[in-house]
Amino acid sequence: MKKKALAVFLALAMALLSACGNEQVIHEQTEQTKITLSWWGNDARNEYTLAAVKLFEEKYPGIKVKCSYTEWSGYEKRNQARMFSDTECDVMQINVGWLAQYSPDGKGYYDIEKLSDTFDLSNFDEDMLNCGRRNGILNAVPIAMNAETIYINKSIYDRYDLAVPKTWDDFFNAAKIMKKDGIYPLAGATKSIWLFCIAYVEQQKGKTFFNDKDEITFDEKDFEMMIDFYKRLVEESVIPKVEDFQRYQIDNGVYAGTVAWVSDAMNYFQAVIDEGSEVVVADYPVLGNVKSGTGWYEKPATMYAISEHTEHPKEAALLLDFMMNSAEWAELQGIEKGIPVSRSARDHLEKAGLMSGIQYEASRVMEQNEEIKPMNSHIEEEGLYQNFIDACDKVIYEKSTAEEAAKQLTELYRTII
Amino acid sequence: MADRPMSRKSKKNNSLTYINRMRSLMLIVYTAIVVTAIMLVSYITAEKTNRVFVQKVNSLTSSLSMQMKLNLEEYIDRMETIATLAFAEELAYTYDATDPDNDEYESINIEKTVTDKLYSLCIMDNFVDYGIVYGNGRTVGKISNGTSTLFGDGLYEELSSMIAGTKSDSIWFTGYGGNYKRIYYVKRVHEHAVLFISFYADELNEVFDNPETLADMSIYLVNQDYNILYAKSGEEVGESLPEDLLSRIENRDAASFMDNEYLVSVNKCNDWYVVCSIPTPLIMGEIRDMKKSIYLIALVAALLAMLACDYLTRQLVKPVRDMVADLDEKAMRDRLTGIFNKLTFEELATNSLANSLKSEKRVLLILDIDDFKQVNDTLGHAGGDRLLEHMGASLRKVFSDDDYLGRIGGDEFAVLMHSVAEYQGNISEYVEEKCSSLMEEFARNDIVRDEKCHVSISIGIAESPKHGKDFDTLYHNGDKALYKAKNSGKNQYCFYDASMEGSETK
Repeated sequence: MKKKALAVFLALAMALLSACGNEQVIHEQTEQTKITLSWWGNDARNEYTLAAVKLFEEKYPGIKVKCSYTEWSGYEKRNQARMFSDTECDVMQINVGWLAQYSPDGKGYYDIEKLSDTFDLSNFDEDMLNCGRRNGILNAVPIAMNAETIYINKSIYDRYDLAVPKTWDDFFNAAKIMKKDGIYPLAGATKSIWLFCIAYVEQQKGKTFFNDKDEITFDEKDFEMMIDFYKRLVEESVIPKVEDFQRYQIDNGVYAGTVAWVSDAMNYFQAVIDEGSEVVVADYPVLGNVKSGTGWYEKPATMYAISEHTEHPKEAALLLDFMMNSAEWAELQGIEKGIPVSRSARDHLEKAGLMSGIQYEASRVMEQNEEIKPMNSHIEEEGLYQNFIDACDKVIYEKSTAEEAAKQLTELYRTII
Repeated sequence: MADRPMSRKSKKNNSLTYINRMRSLMLIVYTAIVVTAIMLVSYITAEKTNRVFVQKVNSLTSSLSMQMKLNLEEYIDRMETIATLAFAEELAYTYDATDPDNDEYESINIEKTVTDKLYSLCIMDNFVDYGIVYGNGRTVGKISNGTSTLFGDGLYEELSSMIAGTKSDSIWFTGYGGNYKRIYYVKRVHEHAVLFISFYADELNEVFDNPETLADMSIYLVNQDYNILYAKSGEEVGESLPEDLLSRIENRDAASFMDNEYLVSVNKCNDWYVVCSIPTPLIMGEIRDMKKSIYLIALVAALLAMLACDYLTRQLVKPVRDMVADLDEKAMRDRLTGIFNKLTFEELATNSLANSLKSEKRVLLILDIDDFKQVNDTLGHAGGDRLLEHMGASLRKVFSDDDYLGRIGGDEFAVLMHSVAEYQGNISEYVEEKCSSLMEEFARNDIVRDEKCHVSISIGIAESPKHGKDFDTLYHNGDKALYKAKNSGKNQYCFYDASMEGSETK
């Protein structure tokens, strides 16, 4: 018996020793699905987006989100390079105009409706979703609506005993008074001034830039009027040349007003508001008996789309749903991009008391104006507004007459559109 | 009877106590040696393992830190290379926006051209800025609103002053105006222009992406003044490196340290330092648990060794104990009759009486075989021995196990009756009955019935406490009663009474 017990003990000891010697150490790494997200924006947007992405990764530890972001300038060209090389991010912030450019038949982006079991589409009205449809395919979902808006630093206008402008002439009259101090009644980036000039001509001519067939209705005379108007704006110091527009001059009080997107409100004016200036959202300027808002356009502020080539549509949809509908993202984003169109996001913001401020006011002015029309996305094409400014410069620097420049521009646009 | 030597029981107890003491001593010494050996081996094993672990962790962390530094260097080199690409565009370094002879319209077009070129160069990276600023404040390329706002009108002057005096006319910096969100690289283009690029500090998250097993590691990028330019946690940026880390890495370019509080490594990268740190208890948690396990196993092994030792020593002393017990038993008993010998009986009877309560009754019988000599003379010593054996057997048969039976002389016996204490009736009658029974039992033997021998037994009886409380007194009185029984014709029993005082004893 004792021998048997000894044998068992020895066998066990040998087994243990041999087991120790051959033990295989395995460390399982957490396997993550990597998806990419791209957006453009300023510091504030980048910061809250990165913070929100961290929350998403905490909620879904199996997903790693690689971010690609920059300010607007450059994003468009990067997006173009990525789209044409089929290397776009899985989830991307896009401009509404890119739908027509990259997805004319609706197949340029992933059909988001196929992901409706993951991405809750019931938070969006059908007309909002239609903004993102191409050829009946849901290519993108709008985040908020956007429109060019006139912001006036009322504190500066008050200094000159000037009322908030209501007509085009009010700006010219203000310029006559402010000019001596080097202050511009208005300023804007290239695209904003382009749309500003279009609104003026549409009111003058009583027609829209595009017809329903995506054809430009403006003729040489109309463009000549646009060029002359821009030239007059610059020469009478209503605005600085678009090449000279410097964002920080808003903070310095050099620009008493700005034409900018609803979504730019906080980025542009929060600093001067914080310093005590009163900034108001002005009515859209009018000519004669034309109603305010005529000639102005609204569009989805920005949209989110999913890459047609994504290898992880489910994960991309999870991220999209988190960005559009979650309380976490809504509260971090606030109304930085405008008032969200997602009902869920709106509810979260209302509960959190975040529906206020200059951006909210701008959104309300846009929403309540009945004259603003949906924007034809082609109107934002870079080729249109850059060539317009080039034509204007030629006229301003007397390299060409307005008539000649308008003729050249008309011919050029025919090749672009 | 008063000068009895040291009792056999005491001797026995002393022997056993000694054996037990030695066994305990063995147990203690053995256990101490085993526990010490196990603990020593465990301690050495644990400490050696600990040292190896520390060295390995330190080495691995140092490698990780070095890898971070290499990552950063590679990233910075790549950014500088992309920045340098701007010089591939001739207009970028030949155009001077400050030249008073410039045609304004031509300048606008050149600036548009250069801007387009610069945009195309930085298109695929997350640059915030990629542009040139001229002495008159004009800019080309990608200039962010954030940078415009941060530097305002002083963009050229500030950037220009930063690279003044540097050997390569270039510099990396961050923290301008307390803003650490962007990291800038500035390089002079010509006398009136500087090229600058910037990217968000968060881009370094990819550079400093540490493995999940070291997720608790803090990673800092600090400048020469040890101010934090980047922190993996996103916090503490702009602050000084915590003192407990600074004191460990100050004035060192590449080193790794580990003590009870921190594992810290530092590596210099250009003019900055990559500092990685992790609290030692966090990474030593596993080794601490392992040490606990080792000590626990050692403790269990020591306990098992102690139990084994206890068992083995018990087994070892058992034969000795048995032998002592056997010898002792043999020393206590009369070998012929199987009852106590004189010494043992006296000792037991003395102790019993001494420990009895006053109310407890005892009876001492002193017995003598009458004319025993005739048996020896007639039947020889073998016959005498047989008769003595019979006497012992008779005593054992008649008296209970509680009573002490002893052979106190050649043919003399004694019985200390404890059983009377529990007897409820007349004790004398009870004793008489016992004596009669004994005599009857004794008479059943062939030798007793042999007419040639004429043997019988006489019994003297003394009661305690009536006739004495101690053994000596009781024995003395019992002996007197025996004498009386002998003188009265033998083969009878006789109770002691006071009238016997002064009479002779047997």
